[in-house]
Formats: sequence, C-alpha cells, structure tokens
Amino acid sequence: MRSLEDYHPRAVGLYFLAVTGIAVFSMNPVIVAESLFGSLFLYLVRHGLRDGKTHLATLGLFLVLTLVNHVVSHNGVTPLFVVNNNPVTLEALLFGAFTAAMITGTIYWFRSFSEIMTSDKLLCLFGALSPKLALVFSMALRYVPHFRRQSERVNASQRAMGLYKEDNILDAAKGGGRVFSILLTWALENGIITADSMAARGYGLGRRTSYTIFRRRPRDLVFLALSVILAALTVAGSFRLSHSYYPVFRVDVPDAWGSAGLFAYGLLTLLPSILEIKEAIRWRWYLSKI
Amino acid sequence: MIFIRNENLRRLLRVAIPYLAVPGLVLLGALVFDEKRHLIVSFGVAVLALLLFAAGFDRKQIGARRLVIVSVMTALSIVGRLIPVFKPIAALTILTAMYLGSESGFLVGAMSALLSNFYFGQGPWTPFQMLAWGLIGLVAGYLAGPLKRSKVFLLIYGLLSGVFFSFVMDIWTVLWYNGTFSPALWVSAVAAAVPHTIMYSVSNILFLWFLAKPIGEKLERVRVKYGV
Repeated sequence: MRSLEDYHPRAVGLYFLAVTGIAVFSMNPVIVAESLFGSLFLYLVRHGLRDGKTHLATLGLFLVLTLVNHVVSHNGVTPLFVVNNNPVTLEALLFGAFTAAMITGTIYWFRSFSEIMTSDKLLCLFGALSPKLALVFSMALRYVPHFRRQSERVNASQRAMGLYKEDNILDAAKGGGRVFSILLTWALENGIITADSMAARGYGLGRRTSYTIFRRRPRDLVFLALSVILAALTVAGSFRLSHSYYPVFRVDVPDAWGSAGLFAYGLLTLLPSILEIKEAIRWRWYLSKI
Repeated sequence: MIFIRNENLRRLLRVAIPYLAVPGLVLLGALVFDEKRHLIVSFGVAVLALLLFAAGFDRKQIGARRLVIVSVMTALSIVGRLIPVFKPIAALTILTAMYLGSESGFLVGAMSALLSNFYFGQGPWTPFQMLAWGLIGLVAGYLAGPLKRSKVFLLIYGLLSGVFFSFVMDIWTVLWYNGTFSPALWVSAVAAAVPHTIMYSVSNILFLWFLAKPIGEKLERVRVKYGV
C-alpha cells in the first residue's frame, strides 16, 4: 500500500467527494463527529503537532459558529439562561455546536484535499471533460510564476535606469504602475507569439487529447472500490438513522443497518490516516534494516 | 432552438438558460419553499451550470490567440489576488469581458476563482465563487457598449458587482450553516460581511478607475492588431 498522495487522482477525487459530501449533507450527530475526528486525525497524522496557530484559528471559528445560532434560534425546551428576554436553550447550543463541527470538519478535509490534490491531479481529472478548458487551466497556472519572474526583471531594469526611488510612497506606486503596464503589454504580445507558435504546430486541427503521467494500477481500483462500497453503505444506512435537534435533542439507537452505516462512515474517514500510518511504519521498518 | 431564426437571440438563450435561469430559479426556490435540501440543490446547480459551460465551450471553434489571451488575463488576476486588502479579480474580469466578449469574461472570472483557490484554499465555496465572478464577467460582456462609453456607469457596475458577489457568498454561507435559507441569518451574515462588501466594492472602483483606460487600450490594440 502507498499513502493517499500516490493513488490515481480519480480514486482520490472520488474519495474526497464521498467523504466530504456525506459530511456536508448529513447533520446526523454521529456522522458529524466521525467526520470531524477523521479529518482532524488525518491532518495531525500528516503534520504532527505543528501548526498550532492554524488549529487555534479554527477553534475560534468553531466557537463563533456555535454562538451564531443563538442570534436566530430560540427553539428548544431546555432554557439555560435568558438574554434580552430571549432564552438561550440547550438545544440551540447543541445545534450550533454540531453545525460548527460539520463546517470545521469540512474545512479540515479541504485542507488535506488542497495538499493532496495538487493542480496537476485536478487537471488530470477535468482534462477529460474539456481539453480546451484544461489548456486554459494549465497555461494560466504556468503564467503565474512566469509573470512574477518577468515583473522582477522589469523592476530591476527600471531601477537600473533610475526611474523611481523607494523612499517616496507616491513615486513607488507610480513605479509599480509602470511595471504593471509594461508587464501587461509584454504578456499580451508574448501570448500572441505563443498562440501563433501553437497554430503553426497544428493546434486546432485534430481533437485535443490531454496527457497525464498517472497510471491506473490494481491498488487504485481496490481503493476506489473500498471508498464506493463504504460510501454506499453509509448512504444506505443513513435512511435508518433518525435524530432531532428541536424541540428536544435526541439521537435514536440505530438498528443493524444504521449501525453498519455509521461504522462504514467511520472506516471511510479513517482510510487515508490508516494508509499514512502504514506507510510511516513501513518506512521506519526499512530504515531499521539498513 | 431550431424555431428561433435570430442568431443573436439564439445565442443569448443558449447562454441565458443555463447560467442565469437555473441559478435564479434555485435561489428563488430557496427563498420561497421551506425545505431542508436547499444546500444540495444549490450546490448541484452551481456545479451543473459550470459543467454546462465547460461542455458548450469545448464544442466551439475558438482560436488559439483568444485562448491564450484568456489565460493571460486569468493569470494576471490570480497574481493580483496576492495584493493585500484590494483584490482586482472582478475588475480584470469586467475589463476582459468588455473587450473580448461575455464568454471570455465568464471564463476569466470562473477560472481565476478556481485557480487562485489553489493559493487561498479550496472548499465547497469554490463553485459559488466561480459562478459569481463568472456571472459578473458574463453580464459585463453584454453591457460592453454602455460600459465602454461611460466611465460613471463602469464604476457603478463595479460597485454593484462587489455588492452582488458579497451577497451571493452570504447566501452560500447561510445555506452551508443552516441547510436551508433563513432571511434572519442572511441579514446577520450580510451585516457581518459589511467590511468585506465595502472592500470588494472599493477595490473594484479603485482598479476600474485606474486600470480601465490603460488595460482597455492594450486589449483593444491586441484585438485590432491581431484580430483576436
């Protein structure tokens, strides 16, 4: 087994779609808790205990989101205390907390998603849909560092000609504007040259294909099948689950199908962490043999 | 579509139905009906609208030059988003749409949202940002004539598109938080987002004020010289 990053983009993409999709659209307290735990655990497995600031900021968001619900909701039968003649109820607090957990969980999933699904992988996914858009996608991404380098060059030559000095804000802003203007003219002209070169090499004559370096391997299929089966089990099981936030907070004890669904989702959320841990253990084991 | 003889009208309908009518209907549905599934519907429709655009875009014959210019403008607005506080994405989208047409405008807006989120963080909000900025570009393309003629109108459009973007994202925030649309929550979200709304509108006005002439001249020159 390899860690999640080494799997085929289609398998990884489908995994994230399933795990976040279920987390966003189900407000079942158990599923929300599983999603938050799984995503946080994956992030901790990948990063260790660094990034304290990120976690603190997310905790702040969690608290704010928990409290926002009281602005609009005074439903529920268990008042805790009264503010401005409006009762703050236990049920509203719980609803706010679970919504906040759902949102923070999704944010953690997408943090891992952004790190794992890099732009080349996303390009591989969407290249099949529209080769032309895929071309715009990759050209624009390629231009970002290209323009940055070019603007440094323009900047350097402007400075060499003594065209602006930094101690004066107005002058610096004028200089910046000039660099931007030069960069834009250059970028458009350069783009036309690129386009002509593409046309000369036969762009637009045949059907565009897109190349990817990713190959499908049996393990991708296993991972894909596992994610699909677990997600399907969760969705099937979720029809047997029932819960309510208002007027009374209540989570019913699930039957066999419901429990299977909850278990399947728990496994689904832990799948990438298991892969990561397994890979780390294997790495240490190989190191110890050297 | 066969019965509509007027080619311009046909083209307008082909664009208007997927990008304007469907999201409009869903937002209306979210406001009128009381259901718990608004989030799924709105998310699905946002993704669907983008997919429809992608499919339609791919069937068209589009020259390499236009494609490259669109990529250049997209890259510029991604770089521009790295500027602290003031964000030029909407301004650059509007300018592109004015000089290269509404389709290019939609593309620059949507692609800038998607690609710059690689730097700023992807999330379930990405399709909504893509759609919102894309629509700002799309409409700017249709209003190209008046926008080019009157600078005041251009600045007003910039102001309104900042407000539009913020309000759409607030609707999304409420849907995500609540699962269904709640006017009270929306009002509080809008109130909480007032600094952002002001920031969007001010940066749109600022960038359109300073960039409209130089960028417009450059795009117009490229269009005339190379026939993009």
